[in-house]
This record gives sequence, structure tokens and C-alpha cells, in this order.
Amino acid sequence: MKKKILYIEDNEQNLYLVTYILQKSGYEVVGARDGQEGIAAASRMRPALILLDIQLPVMDGYTVARKLREAGQVAGVPIVALTSYAMAGDREKALEAGCTGYIEKPINPETFLAQMEQHLNERPSPGGTAT
Amino acid sequence: MSGEIKQKTAFFISRILAVPAAYGVYRLLSIVLLVLSCLTQPATAEVRTVMVGIYENAPKVFTSESGRPSGIFVDVLEEIAKKESWELRYVPGTWAEGLDRLAKGEIDLMPDVAYTAEREKLYSFHKVPVLSVWSQVYAPRGSGIQSILDLNGKRIAALERTIQLETFRRLTNSFGLKITLIPVPDYKTEFEMVAAGKADAGLTNRLYGLMYARKSGLEDTPIMFDPAPFFFAAPRNASRQLLDVIDRRLSELKQDHQSAYYASINRWTSEEVQFKVPAWLGILGLVLGVTLLLSLAGSFILKHQVNARTRELKLITQEREQRIAERTLTLQKMNAKLQQEIEERARIEKALVASEAKYRDIVEGANSVIMRWTPEGRITFFNTFAQNFFGYPGEEILGRNIAGTIVPVQDSVGHDLSSLARDIAARPEAYAINENENIRKNKDRVWVTWTNRPIRDDQGRVVEILSIGVDSTKRVQAEKELRCVLEDLAAAKERAEQADRLKSAFLATMSHELRTPLNSIIGFTGILRQGLAGPLNDEQRKQLEMVQQSSEHLLDLINDVLDISKIEAGQLQVGAAPFDLKASILKIVRTVQPLARKKGLELAVSIAEPVGVIISDQRRAEQILLNLLSNAIKYTEKGQVRVDCSVRDGFVRTEVGDTGIGIREEDMLKLFRPFHQVETGLTRRYEGTGLGLSICKRLVELLGGKISAESEPGRGSTFCFTLPLKKGAS
Repeated sequence: MKKKILYIEDNEQNLYLVTYILQKSGYEVVGARDGQEGIAAASRMRPALILLDIQLPVMDGYTVARKLREAGQVAGVPIVALTSYAMAGDREKALEAGCTGYIEKPINPETFLAQMEQHLNERPSPGGTAT
Repeated sequence: MSGEIKQKTAFFISRILAVPAAYGVYRLLSIVLLVLSCLTQPATAEVRTVMVGIYENAPKVFTSESGRPSGIFVDVLEEIAKKESWELRYVPGTWAEGLDRLAKGEIDLMPDVAYTAEREKLYSFHKVPVLSVWSQVYAPRGSGIQSILDLNGKRIAALERTIQLETFRRLTNSFGLKITLIPVPDYKTEFEMVAAGKADAGLTNRLYGLMYARKSGLEDTPIMFDPAPFFFAAPRNASRQLLDVIDRRLSELKQDHQSAYYASINRWTSEEVQFKVPAWLGILGLVLGVTLLLSLAGSFILKHQVNARTRELKLITQEREQRIAERTLTLQKMNAKLQQEIEERARIEKALVASEAKYRDIVEGANSVIMRWTPEGRITFFNTFAQNFFGYPGEEILGRNIAGTIVPVQDSVGHDLSSLARDIAARPEAYAINENENIRKNKDRVWVTWTNRPIRDDQGRVVEILSIGVDSTKRVQAEKELRCVLEDLAAAKERAEQADRLKSAFLATMSHELRTPLNSIIGFTGILRQGLAGPLNDEQRKQLEMVQQSSEHLLDLINDVLDISKIEAGQLQVGAAPFDLKASILKIVRTVQPLARKKGLELAVSIAEPVGVIISDQRRAEQILLNLLSNAIKYTEKGQVRVDCSVRDGFVRTEVGDTGIGIREEDMLKLFRPFHQVETGLTRRYEGTGLGLSICKRLVELLGGKISAESEPGRGSTFCFTLPLKKGAS
């Protein structure tokens, strides 16, 4: 069974790019265009990993990560921040909000898969959903 | 007899006594008179006992060698007693004892008492003087005492409790002489003391002096004083009857030149007769004498009177003149001294006036307000500057209160100044230096810095305040303006900081907005090149490669701008964690290896043995090295690029050298400034933002190291940076 990745991203091109790369490598990708939709999808599909854009409309990525962790339904699921934010403290802020990793945009298609799989494998939770 | 005549008679007698030339005649005369007096004794009336004090003051009163009371006073009294049938009982003693007895009423009469108003309070006196006698100073022969001034510093013996002593004391005091007066109980003692040298001179009446001076080895000096009348004195409360009788009888005796009175005087003022006269010779003498007297006495006495009077007057005149001369001299000295004092005082006054004028000039000419005012606020002094400054002429402001004139009721910002005068007067120390707003007559507001000093009286009460004021209006205004400027500056700074925050936010946003589309461009280019979307021909592959290179360069530019703006905003934070520097160097070398190979450059790496794990910011250290290596490769067309790394003094030192175009000397200084790419010609040959080296410099410094460059144009450059093995807390 294919591993399910939830990607919360409002930019259509980026969503398509990452989805294309992951599907070519055998993953099932569910895209969400904003935080609200992403939180709903996470509880419904129980993903193996969540890719989270930080700058989102209505609710920013930090808030989405916090809410996901508070809801408890994705406990143990890695959340990897995927953002072009590079100001001081961005990384720390993401980790504080509940993310387990951080991949800087723009992504390199040659290395992206390896970076993401590293976080997938390092998933700390024993109650993981991978099957 | 009138008093004047009495006085003259007394003088006359005393002067007679002073003239030894007449002795012989008077000796004879006295004998005649004595005999005559014996012949005319009156009948005895009722007997009355009169107690009489007696003391030693020859020849006026004394006890003779045979123990009989003798002397002029005794003779006179016995003559009166004979006529009045008094029985006289003598009570011997000293002068002082006699006076005491008289005061107590133990005796009825004390002879030879000089009259004074003071004594009249203690005793009663009759009116006709028995004798008037000069007092005189006696001294050892050859003493050299010629005037009263010669007595200065001398010890003078005098009979105690006498008018003579008191008069002499006053006399010498008036001359300013210092004299030690030695009171003695009687004249005999006095003369003995003078003769023995226990005193330098003695006072006595001329009668005693005439009688005993020569015998005692003394002589009279020219100093005579105080001709005094002498009386019998009776107790103060006794009946005047006794004294009235004495007066009546004495007048009779004095009128009669043959009387026992004159006989006695002649007898006792002559030298003592030592020989005995046979009786027959007496009778013969009497006859001859009477005859002779009748023919000669009148003219002789008259002539003698004239001579004596002349001498007397001459002497008095001489004394007067001498005294006047002495007094004049004293006055002249005093006058000179006074004149000197007046001149001195005038000089001091002049100096004071000059000093006053000097200080007035200073106060009036001072470039400050100088004023004095009472604790109630009333102005008592207001210098010229103050008058000009505040616009009040002196006559208009003096006497008025500072409140309502130069002190406004309220200052411009509304502080109540109505109690200012009271507050300063109550606590002058608290207002020693005080700045407050004042007001001119034309209502202009001015600021004055005051120095207030209290002027106190002997009890420490504040009587006035001295205030010195300096116009500080301009300064206060300048301060106000300065405050405005500072406020503006603070606002401007706030705006600038606000703008800076906005710039940072803008850059962050821009960075994101630029990266998001780049993300797609680079991503899809990569996918296509990888052939994930299908096979590509060579031309397509070549063009996609160009798209990718341009995208990556754009990404570099965005990253550099972001870095430098973070650094300039102070927002760039570096971490401190252990990492293997050797591994990092090798990793960066591997990254740039394809670029070097492409240009045909040799890439030589030399890492010394101790280089290993350091504590620093790995990402930033790698960024620095990557930047330097990229530059070296970029600016080198042939030859080699080398990396040398070693450890020295707690720092790891990394050198990146090349054999490239090098840097001109004038460009070396600008090398690490932002947005400065060293140009090599009219056109830019090399891509770049010009930010790389300035970012490297800031990063090295943030990590606690230093960066430097050496170059030889055309031969190559060497960049060198150090990093501490353990980065500090900063």
C-alpha cells in the first residue's frame, strides 16, 4: 500500500511540482489549499507525513502545526515545514509550533526526495501509522 | 573782719614766719608782749571744764620737754580760758585719736583742725581762723627737687587723715604724676622717715617745717600748696557757745597787735630761746624796748609788711607762671597728640571714602543685577544694571515690593510666585542659587539665575537679602529649543526604526515572494532535465540547463540581499555548536570541484593535522569558505586555487589563494564594503552582487574572527580568515 503524504500549500505550481515528484516515487499525495482544509484532511486520511507551507492564507503554517498537535489525531506523524522564510528564528518558530523538520524552498528536485524520506524514517513515534 | 581780710592776715602772718631776717626783732617783741599780757589778766568768772585734745604738731600744738602742753593753739586757748574762767584739761594722743575722741564727744575741743565742708559734717567749727598756713614739701638736703614734676615716682610721707594729704593727692593727680603716698601718724615720724630715706619727701605745714626741718637734716623745697585756715573743732552736736566765745575772743586778740595771740606766734615761730635773761635786764629791756618800739615799730612793721607782701606775691606769681608753663606744656603735648589723631582719622576717612567709591563703581558697573531687599520683599538697593535691565529708574523701584514689580504673580507655565520673597527669606540657604522667571516693567518675561545671600544682624536674624542675578533668558530659550530638537530627533529616530522594521519585513516578504516562483522554475527545470516527464533531445537539455543556471544565480542574489539586510538590521544570529571543520572544508571543496574542473584549474587542499572539531556556526562557516572559493575560481583563468588550513593560538586559520587577476591597491580598501564589485574595465566581466565579501567580513566578525586579503594585480590574491576554536557567548 502506498504511503500517504498530506501537502498543505496554497501555490498551485508548487503543489503540482511536489505532488508530481512524490507520485513518480510511489507516494500517494493529498493536497490541501489552506490550513482549515489541511486539518480536516489530516484527521480523515491519517497521513504518514505532513508537508506544511508556512505562508498560508487565513491561518499561517505555525498555527496549523499547533492545532494539529493540539488535536492529538496526528500524534507521532512528522510535520515538515516547507518554506522560503529565512529570517532569524524562522526554524525555531516552526519547531516550537510542533514541526519535526524543516526544508527550505526552493526545493532541489534532485535532493528533495532524500530530504523528505529522512524525516519520514526518523519519525519518532512508536504508534506510527506506516503499514 | 571780713573773710578776705582774714585771709590776707593769715597770709601775712605765715609769710612773716617764713622770713628769718625778722627773727631777732620778733623775739624781743614776743617777750614784751608776753609780759604785757601777764599784766592784764581779767577777773575770774564761773569755772567751766573744757576737755582739749592734744597731739604733736609743733609749733601749733605739742607737748613740751617738761610735759606741758604748748604751742600757738594752746597759748591762744589758755588766753581765752583765762578770760572766760575755763579749766582746761588736756587729753594727749595722736592726731587721729584726737579726731576720733572729738567725733565721740569725749573731748570738747580739738585744736588745729583745717576746715572743709566734709569735716563740717562731723565737727563744728568757729568762724575766725586761728592760723592760715601753707603746706610745703620737705626733702633731704640736696635732693634736687625743684618743682612738683620732680616728685614723679617718689614716695611721699604725709600725716594721715589730713586735708593736706588729700589736697596733695589731687594736686599731683592733676599733673598726672605717679606718687606713692605713705600715711604717718605724726610729723615727727614723717621727718624721721624722710631723713632715714624710707620716704623721698614729706608734707608738712610751714610752721612745723621751720621748726624741725633743719634739725632733721631736711630742707624746704619750692613746692608750696594749699594755704589752709586752721580752727578749733568741737563735736558736731555740742553747743555753739564754746565756739562763739572763741570767735569773740580771737577777734579781740587779733585786733590787738600786742595781744597774747601775736606773742605766741612770734614765740613759737622763732627759734627757741636758749638763754635766760636776768630780771633787771628785762626791766631795762622793757624800758628801752618800749621807747625803741614806739619810735621804730610802726615804720619797721610797715616796711616789713610791704617787703613780705612783695616777696609773697613774687613767689605766688612764680609758682603760678611755673604751673601755667607746666600746664601749657602738657596741653601742647595733648594738642599735638590730638592733632595727630585727627589727621589719622581724616586719612582713614579718606581711605574709606575711596574704598566705598571703588566698591560702588564695581557694584554699579557690574554686568549683573545686584539688589538688596528686606524679608518682607521691600527693595532697598537696585544697581544701575538692574534699573536698565528691568526698566525701572531707581527712584521708582526703591521701597517697592519685588512681588508685583520684578517678580510676576505667576510664571509662564503657571507656577505661583507670590510667596517667593517669603520663601527665600525663610530659607535663604535653600534658595542660595535659584532660577526663576522675572518680569520687566514693559511686561517682557525674562529668566534670571539668582544668587541669594542673607545679611544677618548680631542675633542672627535675617535683616536683608543680597541678590545677584544674571540674565539667563537666552539659555532657557535655547534649552527649550534644544528640548524641541531632541524630541524631534527622538521622533525621527522612532520613524527611522519603524522604517527599518518595515524594510526588514518588506525584504522578508519579498524574499518569500521571489522564492516561491523560483521554487517552481528550479523544481520543474530539474524534473524535466532528469527526464521524469519524458525523454529530451540535446538542444532541449542544453536550454533547460541555461534556465537552471539563471534561476540559481537569481536565487544567490536573493539570498545575498537577504543576508546583508539581516546583518544591517542586527537580526542575523549565529549559533555555536561543535562540528568537524575538516569535513566541512572537504564538503565545500567537493561542491566547487566541478566549477574548477570546468575552467581547467588545479584545486589544492592542505589541512593541517590538528584541524578538527570546533565550536562555531557550521552553516555560516561553510558559507564563508564557499564564497571565497567561488570568488577565487571565478576570477582565475588559469593556474590553481588552493586552500590551506592550520591552527594557531586558539584560532583556526584558513587561507584561500589563487593565481588570478588580483586586486589593485586602490581597490583593496573598498574590498569588504557592501555593493562594491571591483571593476576591471568599462564592462563588468563577472557576475555578482558585490555583496559576497562584505557578508563574509560581517560573518567572520560575528563568529569572533578576522578576515584579510593580500594581492598582486596580475599574479593573484590570497584571502585569509580566522575562527576561534571555541566561539564565545557573543
